[in-house]
Amino acid sequence: MKEIFYFLFLCMGFGQVIYSQTDSITTLGNVYLKSVRVKDSAYITNVTILSDSVLRQNQASLTNLLNYNSPVYFKENGSGMVSSPSFRGTTASQTVVLWNGININSQTTGQTDFNTINIRGYNKIEVKPGGSSVADGSGAIGGTINLVNQLEYDAGFKNEIFANYGEFNTYGLDYRTSYSSKKLSFMLDLTRTGSDNDYPYPETEQINNNGHYQNTNISFAASSKLDSKNTLKVFANVYKGRRNFSVPTPNALKTKYTDFNTRSLVEWERVLGKFISTLKVATTTEEYRYFGNIASDFYTFGKVHSLIAKYELDYALSNRMLLSLGANYTRNDGQGSDIQTEIRNLAAAIVSFKHKVSKSVLYEVSLRQEANEDHGSPLLYSAGMSAQLTNFYLLKLNTSKNYRIPTYNDLYWQGLGNQNLKPEESYQGEISNNFKINNATFSVTAYYNSVKNLLRWIPGSDGVFRPENTDKVQIYGLESILNLEKKVNYHVFSLSATYAYTISENEKTQKQLIYVPFHKFTTSVGYGFKNFSIYYQYLNNGEVFTTTDNAPEHILNSYMVANLGAEYALGKQKEYTLGVQVFNLWDEAYESVQNRPMPGRNFNCYINLIF
Amino acid sequence: MLLLSFFAVSCTSDDRETPKEETPPSGDYAQGIFILNEGGFGYSNASVSFLDAAGQVYNSIYSNVNNTNLGDTAQSMGFEGDNAYIVVNNSSTIEVVNRNSFQHIATVSNMIVNPRYIVFEGNKGYISNWGDPNNINDDYVAVLNLETNLVEAKISVAEGPEKLLIHNGKIYVAHKGGYGYGNTVSVVDIASQSLLASIPVADVPDGMVIKNGLLYVISSGKPSYTQDETVAKLFSINLENNNVENVQAFPQGKHPRHLELENDALYYVMDNNVYTMSLNDFQLSQTPLFDSTSDGVELLYGFKVHQGNIYIADAKDYVSNGEVFIYNLTGDLQQKHSVQIIPNSFYFNN
Repeated sequence: MKEIFYFLFLCMGFGQVIYSQTDSITTLGNVYLKSVRVKDSAYITNVTILSDSVLRQNQASLTNLLNYNSPVYFKENGSGMVSSPSFRGTTASQTVVLWNGININSQTTGQTDFNTINIRGYNKIEVKPGGSSVADGSGAIGGTINLVNQLEYDAGFKNEIFANYGEFNTYGLDYRTSYSSKKLSFMLDLTRTGSDNDYPYPETEQINNNGHYQNTNISFAASSKLDSKNTLKVFANVYKGRRNFSVPTPNALKTKYTDFNTRSLVEWERVLGKFISTLKVATTTEEYRYFGNIASDFYTFGKVHSLIAKYELDYALSNRMLLSLGANYTRNDGQGSDIQTEIRNLAAAIVSFKHKVSKSVLYEVSLRQEANEDHGSPLLYSAGMSAQLTNFYLLKLNTSKNYRIPTYNDLYWQGLGNQNLKPEESYQGEISNNFKINNATFSVTAYYNSVKNLLRWIPGSDGVFRPENTDKVQIYGLESILNLEKKVNYHVFSLSATYAYTISENEKTQKQLIYVPFHKFTTSVGYGFKNFSIYYQYLNNGEVFTTTDNAPEHILNSYMVANLGAEYALGKQKEYTLGVQVFNLWDEAYESVQNRPMPGRNFNCYINLIF
Repeated sequence: MLLLSFFAVSCTSDDRETPKEETPPSGDYAQGIFILNEGGFGYSNASVSFLDAAGQVYNSIYSNVNNTNLGDTAQSMGFEGDNAYIVVNNSSTIEVVNRNSFQHIATVSNMIVNPRYIVFEGNKGYISNWGDPNNINDDYVAVLNLETNLVEAKISVAEGPEKLLIHNGKIYVAHKGGYGYGNTVSVVDIASQSLLASIPVADVPDGMVIKNGLLYVISSGKPSYTQDETVAKLFSINLENNNVENVQAFPQGKHPRHLELENDALYYVMDNNVYTMSLNDFQLSQTPLFDSTSDGVELLYGFKVHQGNIYIADAKDYVSNGEVFIYNLTGDLQQKHSVQIIPNSFYFNN
């Protein structure tokens, strides 16, 4: 029994829009609120958007993309294995992953395993730090990641193939096709990735045993402008993956894990004079199976079907004022080998007001009232402002109250679930200083977050783990992001860097939470000349404590990893791109989880064809 | 133009060496107490701590001496001759070391799957194994040849074999249950390597001791979260005929663990309290001998009574360094020592 809990914990363990390197940086000009209101709170917080070449130059798992391009910290039980984020000093349960705006975190664990997301199915990924429960619901305390299928119009018929092959029999094949006219747009993406993952552990004689993984993702999006006032969009995604869990030592019993997740979304937007009405209806299914012995068919499982409906009505009171009203409804139907079968209903009403006071000052206030059957009905809020103080300095302030409801495992685990658990509550404040000079942007954000009633499974005096509202956590941090681009004749230089400093303490013991580093630094440098480009990525993760008493002998050493890649574009319109990459260029022996080494230096090559 | 980029190519704490624990002044581990630290399940950080006669603790002695990790989740240890055998549960290995120098001699891994406890008779070792924990039919006692360090036979037993005792050419196996809940003690004949009998005891038999031809077994009962809670019992069984001579039932909702014997008294643990009872009397006591929580024990995980002292291993919250508390037989705290992660048992070398 205890071992099952241990397994659960293995799964569990963080306006101005900034574009990533090698893409041109654009500023949000004088845009009227009406047309951009879909990005809730985009004006008072910072969102990082990763797209195009950045997605291509990173490995397929979402862990790798965000590890090298954002301040989010990751711990992985070895390459390709269970991966948990720590976003602004919080835990994996306080980071929400959205799919086209719909929450896809598992309802059983309340988390997403970032190695179960294959980024090739999406053409844009948004990283939004900080709490956003008003917009995104329960769990959005540390930050949110949004996986987006963005459709374009009037671009005709396009096909793209991306194929890569690397050491340890790591392969990836991605085919994307799209067609768009003035009124209609379709996109379909099929991708498959896999690896034997039998890499040697640097500085030892051992190899990673039983680490084979493979996954397939099919992604579909379509949009139709029915008439001048109505737009209908449809999105769908199917993910099927299987991973063998690498054994901690060679003779341990081998296990494996499978995931099957589906999502579908229909969106209908209607414009009526000063009103814009948007209705979204989505269904998601998730199913995991854990095989405690790879040679046996016996498995334990969890399965949840969800229905999500979101309605929003925007009313432009004037050119400068926007009032939004919204209503959300979610229904979860869950069952599993260790949880009782339960149906859960959640509802919320949202009201939001945005006001552009002058050309340079804007403020926004939002309220969200929850109405949930079992977990209380908190009132959440979010308020902020942004002010363009000089032509290069934009100041943003915001504060919010966010929350997270207990998960299916917390509530309904046989014999140990507790239906009296309260939701976690988080109060946050943030000051963000953003500078923009020519083609350079730099931001420094300071934030404070106080989380109470943290939901954790802790052992009682009988040694058995039970979920409880424990602890209050105080988080103080600093986040800094830099982007530069410079073009001189045919030479293009680009640089981006992120730095995060985080203090995240259990208020009672005043000890730093485990697996939350004080420092994390990433940087990417790129150089392009005509058809050729070269890029270098660097990551430096600070030390982390692995025990709650912060014992020095159990500190996981800090480490740095760097990747180097080069690309060459061929063809009249640069339709063919060939690339080679060296991962872990300096052959560093490192691990992000105790005794789970990551691969040493290894090579990969890829080809990208557009036709 | 703006700010400069900065990237340090090497700015890591690799240079922070793992603190090398000193070896005791005597140069070896011949006189003192070993404390086995399980480590976190799946984190491969099991370790052995050593408390010497002068009261000094030395941590991670296995990795200091052998420059390698012990493995994942060390469950128990056993001594035979000059050797110590460490049963590493999740690694499915038995590490054989010299009990005084702690130098590694051999690793037993063939025919070992989820091993739990080890006992010895003649030139063989006997190890309880769960096999695949979800398969109730593949549990067994492995027979280890101590000369070759290879397992040479498997004796099938019921699900979840745990602690073992040897008496009169037989092995008594308590079936605590593994992932399930057991309720028997198996009697295995050593010579023929076959199952002789199965003694029914209450649910979840945990600790066993033998004295004067009587086997004492404490069964914890099924806990309340199984939604099938059962009563805990203490048995006295005549080993001539395997009949229960005496049985004491615990109050409803109470689930004791561990069973130790010292002079003519039994000791067990319930709700972080230590209880004792006389063998002659064989009546459960209503009041504990002492309450360990008042001394700071958070999670009473390991328990041993030996030569006039009571040893308690406190696992804290399972994610920090544990602590050892040493009491005398009247319940007065004598010493406290900090050890490593999830200490679970004590072994005496002298």
